[in-house]
Amino acid sequence: MAADVNGTGRVTRPTADDAAARALGLSTGWTVFSYLIAGMAAYGIIGWGIGKAVHAEWPFPVGMIVGLAISVGFIIYRYGRQGSLEPRDAGPARVERDDR
Amino acid sequence: MIGDVRVVADAAGGCHLFGNCGFPAPGLQNFSFKPLFSVGSFHFTKPMLIAVLCTVIVIAFFWAAFRKPKLVPRGVQNLGELGILAVRDQILRPALGRKGDVYLPFLVSLFFYIFLMNLMELIPVFEFPSMSRIGFVVPLAAMVYILYLYLGFKNQGAWGYVSNMWPRGVPWPIYIILIPVELLRFFIIQPFTLGIRLFANMFAGHLLLAIFIAATWYLASFTIGLLFAAGSAVMVLFVFLLELLVDLLQAFIFTTLTATYIASSLEAQH
Repeated sequence: MAADVNGTGRVTRPTADDAAARALGLSTGWTVFSYLIAGMAAYGIIGWGIGKAVHAEWPFPVGMIVGLAISVGFIIYRYGRQGSLEPRDAGPARVERDDR
Repeated sequence: MIGDVRVVADAAGGCHLFGNCGFPAPGLQNFSFKPLFSVGSFHFTKPMLIAVLCTVIVIAFFWAAFRKPKLVPRGVQNLGELGILAVRDQILRPALGRKGDVYLPFLVSLFFYIFLMNLMELIPVFEFPSMSRIGFVVPLAAMVYILYLYLGFKNQGAWGYVSNMWPRGVPWPIYIILIPVELLRFFIIQPFTLGIRLFANMFAGHLLLAIFIAATWYLASFTIGLLFAAGSAVMVLFVFLLELLVDLLQAFIFTTLTATYIASSLEAQH
């Protein structure tokens, strides 16, 4: 059953759009999570390498923070705008309503 | 579950409340099993037996359901169709549309195999989710990811696929900054998170069940401890029902993400 997202007090049967929105949301959620981890890991590794080269420890945490900032910035750029999760013409969001 | 109590009891050497030996907390010992039999250096263990059994059950169920399909389904065919339609309408078509029906057998097999493997933690005698051993999850995640890459290269071409990985409309200096992030995300983090979520959920769930079962056993006595044992027993029931939901949910999430990965391989998204 679909949640009462509109606050109308009515709970409706899930539609194909609900399922498509759920699939898109799930996919986007995990992609965003992957970006956060990947940003920290990628620049953390680069920072660690620089730290090894210059015999210092600070580039590693600094790299992680920079990577996190890059990830957050990119997530806001890509997913933070209104309509960025609207169904597109291809991929997970596409639903053929008369499929069933 | 009974097995957990036995393992904990063995590990604790019969430790009990007022025994001055502390609570025998479940841990990694609950995930290790003695080999059922060995062939040379290959040891066949209980999680492997469960995996083989689940494979046989899934194959046997769908074979029985659709061996002689009738236009008006009866008996086990009804159940089989219900399962297939649930995966088709809730997982496959929202992600792939009608053209994705070719992947229905793969997604149905994946969903029911994972669900059954997870469910084994709640079935007496088995009492263990094989997916809580990372060795069972990694091949599944690898299989899905190899399919994802293969379909992407096949449908979009090597150059098209690689170029579609990058976001459009971004100034070129940003690309340079994003290259390490995108590469790591695409080849390491994304498949890692796909598998680790399933593994971690099953691992934590099994440990939680084991803790409350062990606590019920540990606290049961003709003292005030009996009240705590009863409370712990209620928690066992609660976690049992929660795990039933988690088992289904994890199978659903893994299969849905697989479907969305396949969808993004078939057609570029920007």
